[in-house]
Amino acid sequence: MASNKRKRWALALSLLLIAGLLAACGGGSDSGSGNSKGSSGGGQSSESGEKPVELIFAMPNPGTPMNDLNLVQDEINKIALQKINATVKFTLIDWAAWNQQINLMLAGNEQLDLLVTSAYMNYSSMVAKGQLVPLDDLLQQYGQGIMEAMDPVFYEGTRINGKIYGVSSFRELVADYGFNARKDLLDKHQIDLSQVKSFEDLEPIFQLIKEKEPGIIPLVQRNTSNTVVNDMIASRVDNLGDGMGVLMLDDNNTTVVNLYETPQYQAAVELARKWYNAGYIASDAATSQEGYVALMKAGKGFGYFSNMKPGFEAQETGLIGTEIKGVRLTPAVGGSSGPVAFMISIPSNAKYPEKAMQFMNLLYTDRDIMNLLTLGIEGKHYVKTDNGQARVPDGVESSGYVFNQWLIGNNSLTYVWEGWDPNQWENLKEFNRNAVYSPALGFLFDANNVKTEVAAVSNVISEYKAGLESGAVDPKVLPKFIEDLKKAGIDTIIAEKQRQLDEFLAANQ
Amino acid sequence: MRTNAVQQTLFHAIMVALSAACLFPFILLFVVSFSDEQSIIINGYALIPDSFSLEAYRYLWSQLTPLARAYGITVLITAVGTVTGLLISSLLAYSLSRDEMPLRRVLSFLVVFTLLFNGGLVPTYLVYTEVFHLKNTLLALIVPGLLTNAFFILIIRTFFKMSIPGAVIESAYIDGASEWTIFSRIILPLSLPILATIGMMLTIAYWNDWFNGLIYITDPKLYSIQNLLNRMLSNIQFLMQNDLGGRSSESLARMPMNAVRMAMAVIGILPIICIYPFFQKYLVKGLVIGAVKG
Amino acid sequence: MNQSRWRKFWKRVVRHRILILMALPGLAYLVINNYLPMLGVTIAFKEIDYSRKGLLNLLFGHEWIGFKNFEYLFRTDDAYTITRNTILYNGLFIVLNTIVAIAVAIVLNEIRNRIMSRLYQSLILLPYLISMVIVGYLALSMLNVENGFMNKTILPLLGIDPVSWYSEPAYWPYILTFVNLWKNVGYLCIIYLAAIVGINHEYYEAAVIDGASKWQQITRITVPLISPTITIMVLLAIGRIFYSDFGLFYQVPLNSGALKSTTDVIDTYVYRGLMTLGDIGMSSAAGLYQSAVGFVLILLSNWLVRRRSRDQALF
Repeated sequence: MASNKRKRWALALSLLLIAGLLAACGGGSDSGSGNSKGSSGGGQSSESGEKPVELIFAMPNPGTPMNDLNLVQDEINKIALQKINATVKFTLIDWAAWNQQINLMLAGNEQLDLLVTSAYMNYSSMVAKGQLVPLDDLLQQYGQGIMEAMDPVFYEGTRINGKIYGVSSFRELVADYGFNARKDLLDKHQIDLSQVKSFEDLEPIFQLIKEKEPGIIPLVQRNTSNTVVNDMIASRVDNLGDGMGVLMLDDNNTTVVNLYETPQYQAAVELARKWYNAGYIASDAATSQEGYVALMKAGKGFGYFSNMKPGFEAQETGLIGTEIKGVRLTPAVGGSSGPVAFMISIPSNAKYPEKAMQFMNLLYTDRDIMNLLTLGIEGKHYVKTDNGQARVPDGVESSGYVFNQWLIGNNSLTYVWEGWDPNQWENLKEFNRNAVYSPALGFLFDANNVKTEVAAVSNVISEYKAGLESGAVDPKVLPKFIEDLKKAGIDTIIAEKQRQLDEFLAANQ
Repeated sequence: MRTNAVQQTLFHAIMVALSAACLFPFILLFVVSFSDEQSIIINGYALIPDSFSLEAYRYLWSQLTPLARAYGITVLITAVGTVTGLLISSLLAYSLSRDEMPLRRVLSFLVVFTLLFNGGLVPTYLVYTEVFHLKNTLLALIVPGLLTNAFFILIIRTFFKMSIPGAVIESAYIDGASEWTIFSRIILPLSLPILATIGMMLTIAYWNDWFNGLIYITDPKLYSIQNLLNRMLSNIQFLMQNDLGGRSSESLARMPMNAVRMAMAVIGILPIICIYPFFQKYLVKGLVIGAVKG
Repeated sequence: MNQSRWRKFWKRVVRHRILILMALPGLAYLVINNYLPMLGVTIAFKEIDYSRKGLLNLLFGHEWIGFKNFEYLFRTDDAYTITRNTILYNGLFIVLNTIVAIAVAIVLNEIRNRIMSRLYQSLILLPYLISMVIVGYLALSMLNVENGFMNKTILPLLGIDPVSWYSEPAYWPYILTFVNLWKNVGYLCIIYLAAIVGINHEYYEAAVIDGASKWQQITRITVPLISPTITIMVLLAIGRIFYSDFGLFYQVPLNSGALKSTTDVIDTYVYRGLMTLGDIGMSSAAGLYQSAVGFVLILLSNWLVRRRSRDQALF
């Protein structure tokens, strides 16, 4: 009868629901791992006879094509299995979702053995919350390779409260700032950039371009966080992590001050405003949704400020598609945030911290693994050129694996990509060695005691920063900005930071 | 009701104006997805761009595998989620609409209460991942959405009470029908408008959901279309606003351009627009039945 | 006496066991999805130490710090701005959206031509399906200072100078209200239309026989008969009065700081403040604050509704 059928149907559905839940419950019986997709690397045998261990490694999704990640992962694991009897499973997490997902993963019991960390992603808060494991002992035991291969700053510069919580990737830790422009326009108007010695010197050039090239923006702002003002004063400031209370490197002291009250900031803002009014900066710079690369590519911009490094022009030329020439206007300076920009850490959820450190060690010593990770599989994703560099294989339109050479590990072990100076890594090491470092190198601020003020000050800064620093807003609001900052509690933050900095300096004499 | 030409014209005029306002941005969206990227950067979004280009769709075609999979996932979870959610909701709403239901007031309150208080993201996440191990499974995309809006239950319950005369149910009882029979043979057919309505809303909710995908799924094989689109757009925004020491430009340079973002939005919406007329049929059907029975 | 009441109760349960069975799946879901996590609301009062993991620890462990996590919501000047903005916007949205949605639903119902009616319905639903991020880009195409539709085409037509939309807070209450209405009217309309469709035609026929005009039919029959639906929708909206559509207030103004005074609401404030800290305790505190206020308001409104008409109250 129809009613029986309905009855059974509804009953079945309810049971199905309950059953489904039970299945999900029972299926993931291993309470240690929440990953139902990955298998624990049990199938492969190895020489030592012990069961190999699977490590979970979370890293930000570089945004480049990574379709062949599994293939690359397999190749890496062949080597890793042999050397340390462990395999690795890379988990890519989108930048935008990073904070959310990592916090959630760490709040639960999910297995996570290795993690990319960064000052841009709340490194010090993570340490304060107990999310990361101190690495000092592990480094001594299993990380000798790291300590031998890398300059101490790469792992000492990450200390918080005396303990190491992350190992930095090999890259330039310092930056010099300058101006970059399209070579074709430079040649056309016979502009010689080598004559330019300071940011102010650029003014007549901007004027020239404005007159002779209507429709082209003389000075393109990189984006709304790397503003014109930021790029002009960044080399004179150590922003001590969050920019709320900084060290002015010009003055060569260790007094933490409010950046927005300094004469340097005021001067920079006024200069930007002058340029904005003269039309050298795009009128929508404060809210533009286009990055400078897109604008330059479209032929809409003449030049831009940026932090640079050896080989920078080659990189930019590749990105933008037309030759870029640059001039460096500041010396290379290293703020305290250099080493902590990109590191690898071991989170408190790690199931196999010793193996994790062993794998980390490989990332700093094993040439093959690093080449696999950053370049892909030889023959498929890259081929070697005659002089030992790497290039795209013939006939390949879009690669299935494009990573980068600054995020993870010891990149000086890898082949240099074609188009860059073959001595790129040596150049970077020189660059790092010869720069001027902030007195606060290695200091990391723990904001826990002032988190209320930090939240309030963040909001104030976000209100004024984009407008003031692109020149779109009149500097006459600067006094109000400073007043709002004070009301939000910036002086409290500065006092706390000064206190911690003094302690740090005293302890590290 | 008597027809009145003037009134009809007025109503049509109002609706045309409204529809135009709603359609215009969508047309813009559509046109931009076919525009040449350079002209977008130079001139902004334009109804009639300088030059057209299929580049955006060509790019999407090159990503066919992940896109097709995302589509499949979305369709699956929408279909299963909508049917299951509708069933659970109507069953619960029916039981709450019957005066004889024991604990009716208490249970109604408990249902409404969930609308007001939420445990928060972290506890919910932990319940689903630690207790039920749903991370990176399809169930994680279906279960949380079944009843996020308890107000659907309230609406259905109200409909049952208001639109279904008690007399009909009484006589059914007298004729010896069971609750199941009453539910399936009387209530459901009479409720087609409301079921189509709530069904439509569930479909839209599942189709558009990106949040559950964001927090419960890290395996790209299980991304739904909206999850994919949202991640891509948020990543672009994130990199625009957080320079990562100059590194963002590298990643940004390779991320989909304006036209592609619009194209993704278009393919994300199209299926739903096609399905909607299907639901509408039931809304109308209900109207007809209501008129006859009335 | 107690024993006999208990037995009576059980008899009722057994007699209506099928009804209870029907309610079970839904109730089970609510327990899992809503009530279990509710236990975790205590996070708002704690300092989370990540070296202690898992759900049990979350519920019962960690250090209690009282109301410290709530401070950032109240201490600053911003607190007044964001609260004021949140309430005013939501209040306006509720009133405006409800009136317009009902009006449109009535108009749609009146249109004889079924095909056109369905077409209109589909079209006005379109905005709801577009994500707010895309809406932000579309708004940019209209309001961009250089080549936005407004500045390039419309304003010159009217002889007005271009406006720097993203730097002038004053316009944004209108812009955001309009966008919110545009996005939601189609969706809300569906609900009210479904309610209208359920009204028994006999009422109208009788009214026509009595010589009632269209306007009278609308105000005396349609609106009163869908008032249960209206009541529920408004009550629930009031309960959510402290929550905002994050996409609307964050994406559409393109996260532009200059507009803060008129576009910052509790949700965007919490989000911005916590990007640097990632503090779960603080964001839970914000969530609790919003829920608590909404709860009180609903209780109040529900009580008011009950006094007028018992049936229509939520509980």
